[in-house]
Amino acid sequence: MFRRFVPASALLFAVLPSVFSLEVSDGEKLFALRIKPLFAQKCMACHGNEPEEIKSEFDMRTRQSLISGGEIFEDEVVIPGKGAMSYLYRLSARLEEDLEMPPKEADKLTKEQTWWIRDWINEGAPWPSEERVALIQKKYAEGEQVLTSRALTEDWQKRRYESKKLWAYRPLSVESVPKDQHPVDWFVNRRLKENGLEPASSASGGELFRRLSFGLTGLPPDPAEAIKFERQFEKSSDVLLTYLEKLMTSPHYGEHFARHWLDVARYADSAGFANDYSRPNAWRYRDYVVRSFNDDKPFDQFVKEQVAGDEMDPQNPENLVATGFLRMGPWEQTGMSVFKETRQLWLDDVTDSVGQAFLAHAMQCAKCHDHKFDPVPTRDYYAMMAVFSTTQFADRKASFLSTESKRGFDSFTEIVQSKISSYQQEDVRLKEKMNRLKKEETGSAKVGDNGLDPGDEASQSRIFKNLIRHRIELDRVEPLTHAVYTGKTITRRNVQGRLDMPENPWQKGYFDPDVIYTAGDVYSEGDAVAPGGLSAAESLGNMKVRPFPQGKGKRRLALAEWIVDGKNPLTARVLVNRVWSWHFGRGIAGNPNNFGGTGELPTHPALLDYLADWFMKNGWSVKKLNRLILTSETYRRSSRHPNPKSLDENDPKGQWYARFLPRRLVAEEIRDAMLAVSGELNPAVGGIPVRPDINSEVALQPRQIMGGTASVYEPDPLPEQRNRRTLYAEKLRGLRDPFLEAFNQPGSDLSCELRQSSTVAPQALTLLNAEEVQDRALAFADRLLKERKKESTVIQRAFALALGRSASADELSACIERWKQATATEKEKEPAPKTYSPKIKRTVMAEKTGEPYDFWEVLPVFESYQPDLQGSDVDARTRGLAHVCLVIFNLNEFSYLD
Amino acid sequence: MSHQKPNQVARLTRREALYGLSGGIGSLAFASMLQAEVPKLGNHHPAKANRCIFLMMEGGPSHIDTFDPKPALAQRHLQKFNRSGERESAMSSGERYFVRSPFDFLKAGKCGADFSSEWHHLKDFADDMCFYRGCQVESVNHPTACYHVNTGNRFGGDPAVGAWVTYGLGTLNENLPGFVVLPRTSYPQGGANNWSNGFLPADYQGTPLRPEGSPILDLNPPNGMTRKEQRSNLDLLAKLNGKHFSERPEQDDLSARMSSYELAYRMQMEVPGILDIEGETEKTREAYGIGDGKTDSFGRKCLLARRLIEKGVRFVQAYSGNWDSHDYIERAHGSLIRSVDKPIAALLRDLKERGLLEDTLVVWCGEFGRTPDNGIRGGGASYGRDHNPKAMTMWFAGGGTKAGHTIGATDEIGAEAVDCVHHIRDVHCTWLNLLGLDDNKLTYFHAGRHKQLSQFGGEVIGDLIA
Repeated sequence: MFRRFVPASALLFAVLPSVFSLEVSDGEKLFALRIKPLFAQKCMACHGNEPEEIKSEFDMRTRQSLISGGEIFEDEVVIPGKGAMSYLYRLSARLEEDLEMPPKEADKLTKEQTWWIRDWINEGAPWPSEERVALIQKKYAEGEQVLTSRALTEDWQKRRYESKKLWAYRPLSVESVPKDQHPVDWFVNRRLKENGLEPASSASGGELFRRLSFGLTGLPPDPAEAIKFERQFEKSSDVLLTYLEKLMTSPHYGEHFARHWLDVARYADSAGFANDYSRPNAWRYRDYVVRSFNDDKPFDQFVKEQVAGDEMDPQNPENLVATGFLRMGPWEQTGMSVFKETRQLWLDDVTDSVGQAFLAHAMQCAKCHDHKFDPVPTRDYYAMMAVFSTTQFADRKASFLSTESKRGFDSFTEIVQSKISSYQQEDVRLKEKMNRLKKEETGSAKVGDNGLDPGDEASQSRIFKNLIRHRIELDRVEPLTHAVYTGKTITRRNVQGRLDMPENPWQKGYFDPDVIYTAGDVYSEGDAVAPGGLSAAESLGNMKVRPFPQGKGKRRLALAEWIVDGKNPLTARVLVNRVWSWHFGRGIAGNPNNFGGTGELPTHPALLDYLADWFMKNGWSVKKLNRLILTSETYRRSSRHPNPKSLDENDPKGQWYARFLPRRLVAEEIRDAMLAVSGELNPAVGGIPVRPDINSEVALQPRQIMGGTASVYEPDPLPEQRNRRTLYAEKLRGLRDPFLEAFNQPGSDLSCELRQSSTVAPQALTLLNAEEVQDRALAFADRLLKERKKESTVIQRAFALALGRSASADELSACIERWKQATATEKEKEPAPKTYSPKIKRTVMAEKTGEPYDFWEVLPVFESYQPDLQGSDVDARTRGLAHVCLVIFNLNEFSYLD
Repeated sequence: MSHQKPNQVARLTRREALYGLSGGIGSLAFASMLQAEVPKLGNHHPAKANRCIFLMMEGGPSHIDTFDPKPALAQRHLQKFNRSGERESAMSSGERYFVRSPFDFLKAGKCGADFSSEWHHLKDFADDMCFYRGCQVESVNHPTACYHVNTGNRFGGDPAVGAWVTYGLGTLNENLPGFVVLPRTSYPQGGANNWSNGFLPADYQGTPLRPEGSPILDLNPPNGMTRKEQRSNLDLLAKLNGKHFSERPEQDDLSARMSSYELAYRMQMEVPGILDIEGETEKTREAYGIGDGKTDSFGRKCLLARRLIEKGVRFVQAYSGNWDSHDYIERAHGSLIRSVDKPIAALLRDLKERGLLEDTLVVWCGEFGRTPDNGIRGGGASYGRDHNPKAMTMWFAGGGTKAGHTIGATDEIGAEAVDCVHHIRDVHCTWLNLLGLDDNKLTYFHAGRHKQLSQFGGEVIGDLIA
């Protein structure tokens, strides 16, 4: 068609007269308001932004180049007046197989957007000048522009956003609540009414107490307390306040809330990757979090300490411990990695994790290009990264606080020492043997004919590596903390264990450049940036903007203060939303780590704002916030709705709180509850990580690390050490406890905003067959028989402890019948006591030969290992009852809260 | 088509998966035992391959000593090698020397593909294989490089290729999980994250069948408990759960969980049957090298892989290793090659004879290649090789790949890929493409963006496709 050859002058002529006219055609309006921004967002990356690399020779920068088409379609790309036939429309509407544009499914245009293209072409595909576009946009534009630092592209800078998607950046909008109303109920009930929903009635006292107990402490309620509560609750619901206060003064409250926060922070006791070295002092950060919740530390202070505790007051050990947050991600520097790259890896990690944890912004989305959906330019990403460019790792001296537990220091050191000395002895033996046998390698092939057993050579390397690993562990009991300082960057070649803090942090090293890395490539330096926060939050939130210090200044402190600034629109909303999600299983805003346009919009924005404001006015107190939320009727509602049909119709997403959403206990709660019910739980708070029993096949399975095979996982020798709350179980990135993993405990690599709970058969296998569960069931049976005599009271006691209620007559008889039957079969058995060997033969592959070799590993723990109660310790009646106890642990009711 | 399903839909699907099949617990499928959901979401375009066997040579096999001969190294043997640059790491520092390959090379098949002399069996299949010498990765460390090849993300935590594929295509046989892993007794560096479901629902996690001990953890009741006793326990469980559920009929996760117990009980019966290779003929077992100490371990994996895909498993990954031969490459690589040579040849023959190779994609690779040079160890140049992310050989067979071709090339010493060079992400795009999936369409929304295997998109390597 002729249009391919339209001369430029004709085009100019067509457009010129309208520059000055106020008459705006529909086509022009479409172009200025819709098409141009759409092209910029969806097409120009491949078809114009980089003139050297235009794909398929299709250049969308001007009307002329657009109309002349590209390599595949020429004049059929845009046929002015014939939108539906034009390939620009057909491809973007995905009507042509294999030529869908944009190619990524995630980028595909909405129907409406494709219609804009069609209609614009129907209108003759007018292309007004820049000036005229600006004029039209000024006059007619919808959506909002957002003032941000500065984008990489002009078009992005002028981008418009759907107003409703900017909710998180706007100042809080606080409605006043009538005096006689509970604020939570006032907001929630209003929405119920709007959606034509009746609220469910109150949960029963027993259900509610169980909900409260798990919700605040992660542990099942004490049956005696539960009965008291139920009785008083029948008279008045006010009693709830008394009991929730009581639960919040229990140290287990802090443990449970710490577990929530550590999911966000990705807590682990090891560094991950090739070596998975121990982070021997990470546990002090874990306990710091427990303490902070128990002491109800104002949350703004909690944030500041984690981001900049050292810059606030390095003399306070607590402040140094808190900064462990910044180093929680997986990280290692081996002799084989390039420091510049691993350093950058951490900078990216910390920028993203601070963004997600405190601001609900996945910063990574803006690392390589301006954010696709949110008003976060790449400049903001690097501004926030620049805050950390003078942050350095150190294992800093921090004396133990009187509140920190030093329990088990000696026995831990003793076991590690004996492991070390067993390796040393083996090493000496090996060296002697090798010196004896070693001969000169001859011949040109050098195939390894050095007289040595290749297994011995592999062992030497394995021993060498494990000695390093265990020596690092010894630092666990030292007054050190996994922390940071501010100073110049020092190049590290191979980081193994303790990093000391230099005497003068500004002497040695270099300043990381504060620049934008083009396309996220650390070898491609772009514009310089200054440290800063999110510019959209500043502009839309009306924050008072103060420049952050640069050079040797306290950059992190500035960021911390910026985060907790009373005017920061994000922070309080983010935290309040988290606490809400911890109680209700879903956030008011559905993605607690993502308040951007791609996150779920808040279901109750007015409630969220009210709570955020209330929270700040109440000293950022999480306990007070809990009190407010838990005293609402909304929290008290039964999980069963009187009219399920109406619920299905009017609340298909389960977001209006007409009933309480039932939830499955999380992995840690399931294990802790079994221990609590069996009476084995050691409730001690804090201290160095413990090593519970885990699946023994996994514990003994060789685990490859750089240079060899890691030592066997050895549980702690004593039951009271092993049977602590799961929070205290050593969390190794490279060796997960399969029990916890089966019940959806998240890995420690990514921040977890909310636990998932899937139902898969391996969970059933685990709860039925795992030795750890069998052990709990036996201990539970033993406890019951020690506490009660008569069969029916034994079973009643079991129900009270495990389920918080009494058994019905049917349940009682079914359990007793099974008990009797199982006792009869158990009588025919003679369980042998389990035996443990203090050494084990292991088989792994020798690197030098590609063939397997065996070696013996000494397991010092098993010289003094005391198993939990065993079948051989008790009579057939107890073992019979253990079958019933096992069934109880497997009940839906045990794992699901009403 | 984006595959993400909101939770609500997922719940319904699960209920359907558990109750909607042919009704009644007795007929429930094995897949549901391991995976709550069994979606069959379908191809984006016609598939050349319907299933995949991924032979993972963990540790990084040397291309120079397997499939990419470098005669130029013979002349430079033990001459000094210099490397510099900003990206230098400790591995490339110190005194380094060129090391020639200890192996002779031969040309095999009509296509004349290169094989080092240790490949006695696999060379017969040269005309069925498509060698690719252009792939590059980014990481020089094992776990990050393994994560990169397995999940597209160097730093782990993302779904493995097999998880993406089963997410996209579901399983071919509802009686089996879609993604099965056959690991070595010792898991690779980086552990089970190498076959993780990442941010995809737990249902897409690779199910490892462990070579020793219990193939699936806690598959059987502990010592002393009989199946009859377990049945009695389950009966009591069902009775008590039934009452609880009758008061909460709207909570379908409760009923799903109840069924999962019955499924688990059946699994205890069925899994051993799947693993039992005794039913195979003596000839087959011999062909795979089962019974011979050198080849037994990988032979079993290869035979099991064939059995699994034959039964409809979508994606099987089998691990061999450890190919990390920093020293004594002749001895180490020699024995490693021998340990996989016969089993893989048997697998290819078996697949061909059964008409399966055509639509089964076989992928062989490690996490990176190896260097043409080595450092000083033990007082002299040790005849091994370090890690090399810039050059490697991978090969494909079946599944619509270009059989009998060698695509791409490395430089004359094998230090870097120089022809048809592609990042691993392009290999991932190609891999999905062969299976009828489009990397750009196979996305899942997580942490603020639509994530995909290639991370941010890549290119299909047309040269590899027949």
